Amino acid sequence: MELLPFFEWAETSFLGYIGKTYGGVYATFGQSIHLMALAVLGGSVLVADLRLLNVILRDVPSQVVVEHAHKWFRVALIFILSSGVFMAAAVAQRMYYNDFFWAKMSALLVGIVFVFAVKRPLLKGDHSQINPTVIKLVACASLLVWFSVAATGRWIGFSG
Amino acid sequence: MINELLLQFAEWLYNTGGSRAIEESFYLYNWIETTHVLTIMLCLGMLAFVDLRMLGYAMPGVSASTIADRVNVPMMIGFVIMFITGVLLFYAKPVYTIQSIWFRIKMVLLLVAFFNAIRFHRHMKASESTWHNEPRAPLNLRISAALSLGLWAGVVTTGRLIAYDWFHCYRDLPAWLGVAAGCVAD
Repeated sequence: MELLPFFEWAETSFLGYIGKTYGGVYATFGQSIHLMALAVLGGSVLVADLRLLNVILRDVPSQVVVEHAHKWFRVALIFILSSGVFMAAAVAQRMYYNDFFWAKMSALLVGIVFVFAVKRPLLKGDHSQINPTVIKLVACASLLVWFSVAATGRWIGFSG
Repeated sequence: MINELLLQFAEWLYNTGGSRAIEESFYLYNWIETTHVLTIMLCLGMLAFVDLRMLGYAMPGVSASTIADRVNVPMMIGFVIMFITGVLLFYAKPVYTIQSIWFRIKMVLLLVAFFNAIRFHRHMKASESTWHNEPRAPLNLRISAALSLGLWAGVVTTGRLIAYDWFHCYRDLPAWLGVAAGCVAD
């Protein structure tokens, strides 16, 4: 499927126009909100996964920590996606030819599928009934995936 | 006077070998910046959970002092990495950065956030036995927590804006803004 026409349209859309024309709006409502949402999303991933790895909050049941972290993960994800769409629209054609953009989109897709199709269903039940090695593997995989999302995201700005 | 001294210091830093080596290395500079940005997840992400707990929005059933104590170490590790990488980023571009109004606002916000954190910890330690199992902290701690979130949001925003030169010294700036940004007459 040819995606270039969609990216060309995105750049001429209302969002693309606002982001392109008003640098201040792009930097504050796009980049800064994206970074703040990244802090909360990363914080929620770290709090949950480091608890699953028995590194922090060992005296708090892991189910409680994971449950609350997931609530904030969802909030942060909404802000990350919204601000990300706004930023990408302003420079859509440049993004289309940027390898790190596609690396980030791939990592983000893997991350979202991993959270909602693997991690969440697995950890919804009683954690004591799950093999501890599986829990630790899920935590490590989660840390790795979200680190990749954040790192490839930052490198979009350094390439192209 | 202070702006002249700061600029002289920045120019001296700029001419050191380390500064040139970092700025001229594509991978070194960008990995330092990436590390600086990524540690906001470790430092500010954890801090956000502590502040949200105080406000009653995160883990209200878990003792507030337990959360604050247990996430303190990773949060401080994140802060130290963030601080070191931040110093290195400044070291790589000292002249540009010292004359950035955003950098200056960021430093002021960091200072206020630091004093707010000291005040917050002092109040928390003094009063935790009376409320730490409550879903929300007392009003003065909630104000500190909200202030902390606001100040760090400001630090992130101004940090990001350093990259933009809208109000840099080579622009046509009002006199007061030139002084605030650290511009020095040739």
